[in-house]
Amino acid sequence: MEARKMKLEKKIKTIFDIPIQEYVAPGGIFCQGCGAILAARLILKLLGERTVVVNAAGCFTLAVVYPYTVFKASWLYTAMACAPAGAQGIRDALDILIEKRKIDKNEDLNILVVTGDGAASSIGLQSTITAIHRNLDFWYLAYDNQAFMNTGAQKTETTPFGAATSTTKPTSLSPLGTEQEPLDLFSVWVSAGAPYVATVSPSYPVDFLDKVERAKEIKGPKLFHCLSGCPPGWNYEPALTIKVGRLAVESGVWALKEAVNGTIKHTYIPKKRIPVEEYLKIQGRFEHLFKPVKNKEAIEEIQRKVDKYWEYELHDAK
Amino acid sequence: MIKVRFHGRGGQGMKTSSRILGTAAFLSGFFVQDFPIYGAERRGAPVVAFTIISKEPILERGYIFDPNILLISDETLLLDKQTDPTKGMSKESIVFINSNKNEDYFKEKIGAKVIVEDLTKIALEVLGRPILSTLIAGVAAKLVGIEQKYLEEAVKEELEQIGANEEMIRKNILAATIGYNKVQEVKIEQTESLEPEVKVVEVEYNDPEISTPVISFVANSYLKKTGTWRVFKPIIKYQKCKSCRLCYVYCPESAIKWENNFPVIDYENCKGCLICVQECPLKAIEIVREGE
Ligand SMILES: Cc1ncc(C[n+]2csc(CCOP(=O)(O)OP(=O)(O)O)c2C)c(N)n1
Ligand code: SF4
Ligand code: SF4
Ligand code: SF4
Ligand SMILES: [Mg+2]
Repeated sequence: MEARKMKLEKKIKTIFDIPIQEYVAPGGIFCQGCGAILAARLILKLLGERTVVVNAAGCFTLAVVYPYTVFKASWLYTAMACAPAGAQGIRDALDILIEKRKIDKNEDLNILVVTGDGAASSIGLQSTITAIHRNLDFWYLAYDNQAFMNTGAQKTETTPFGAATSTTKPTSLSPLGTEQEPLDLFSVWVSAGAPYVATVSPSYPVDFLDKVERAKEIKGPKLFHCLSGCPPGWNYEPALTIKVGRLAVESGVWALKEAVNGTIKHTYIPKKRIPVEEYLKIQGRFEHLFKPVKNKEAIEEIQRKVDKYWEYELHDAK
Repeated sequence: MIKVRFHGRGGQGMKTSSRILGTAAFLSGFFVQDFPIYGAERRGAPVVAFTIISKEPILERGYIFDPNILLISDETLLLDKQTDPTKGMSKESIVFINSNKNEDYFKEKIGAKVIVEDLTKIALEVLGRPILSTLIAGVAAKLVGIEQKYLEEAVKEELEQIGANEEMIRKNILAATIGYNKVQEVKIEQTESLEPEVKVVEVEYNDPEISTPVISFVANSYLKKTGTWRVFKPIIKYQKCKSCRLCYVYCPESAIKWENNFPVIDYENCKGCLICVQECPLKAIEIVREGE
């Protein structure tokens, strides 16, 4: 019922609906072409300055280095495992202040947790699940660069099959690099009972921000799991961040979807999926699948899994 | 003992330079230490690395505060007050700067022996990317007087370790040799640092309300002017622009402002990622090398 209502109310329809107000200043210590800070800049365009950004250790640690900050919003830094607990503390404080009439209801703030995939999918998962369990009213931007980038690109739970990281270097014994399938954070959140869960990409800003705008009506935990290109970690030229994200979506590797109260819907279905090879081959972290000899088996396996996903999902949608 | 300090930006490869110099000196029979300052690994962010070379065992540990040789891979670092790359040098220190400006430009400002070469240009020609690790290592090896064969061996060893393929290793040995032949060996004068001795200051206990850093400003990071990170500069050709907004929306860090229905690049802060150039559907944004 709610899902249907939300579908009707598409709010950000074209690129011209994206506000030109900025809430993230340039000058932060992010690499050239960082997809993660772009994702934060985009989501804050809609959440605005009446927001507290709660951040755990990762590349965003350097978003605020005394005496500088990139944010117009407030910022709270927590230990890596407990950004959602930090969010709970702020929510409680605001609720008490409102109840005691120390601040007015319309002075309330949005609470936006921003962490990388390492915090979101492994080190901080416990505090996340319990925050969902308590139905904490907060936003979570999990920028997923698919490794512990701040410490030099070690594998995380969301590192994809076949990717090289500094802890899963391809060798003759282990030619794939990463051998595991990534954890499906979207499904973890859905099954934990979060009322709004979305996957997004900064290469599709209209899809991304339309989801944010519509999710404003939902109280409770809201996840935006964002595949965020990382030039040094994925080993490609900084100019290609948007293109890499586009290839991920058009090849079907990264599905853009949302789950409203558990009802899953794809918000963008590529008409004709391009081969996954197009996505893999422009990134150095997959170079070993192409050189010195092409690992056809591995590439086909990745393709097969993507095809299977869409076959299942699209069948279900009909 | 020779103390060499490398200053660069993340992604240029200064950590590798210090390692190559260390390995080359080790292969030549010296005692060596090489290490970077541990920090977040960020493309573009200031990076410092060190190499100490000695005929005797090296007993000291820690950063180099009084370098004999300074290698600065990015002249814009000279403007960075936090990094302050010439800190601790003496009149006898030798300062190498990678720049497309000439030596006189820096001599007055720095007041030491300055050597300037445009290594970025060579890197773009030889490696196709502005990565300076092997070029700078070549310069450093020559300055301290290491034989070329040890330099080449060290380049190979270090690059193999970080997983470079044969072609990259070949190109980088070439780059190292070019760097090596650009400069002359120098006489290293042993001098004391001009810096006053560092005093240990005891910090008293303070209530967290006082001692926790609080930033009361908002969005003031633009003051850091990351425009100095650029190697290439995007230039919008307004005759071609149709105000589609794509460059504006995709610029990662709001270095493009939207004014009077047109995009305007804030050059004080644009890092030169070139996403805008790549994404403009009308090819209305052109590229020039910075400083040209
Ligand atoms: C409990 C704990 N373990 C390890 C670290 C060291 N650490 C700091 S940042 C970081 C990487 C974080 O990875 P991710 O959350 O994916 O963010 P990214 O660095 O990719 O932005 C790690 C492991 C820490 N700060 N705390
Ligand atoms: S390492 Fe990747 S995620 Fe981190 S700042 Fe650089 S580009 Fe962004
Ligand atoms: S080069 Fe990058 S940082 Fe500079 S204006 Fe273009 S997109 Fe923005
Ligand atoms: S992307 Fe190109 S056409 Fe569109 S606004 Fe920017 S410069 Fe103009
Ligand atoms: Mg990460």
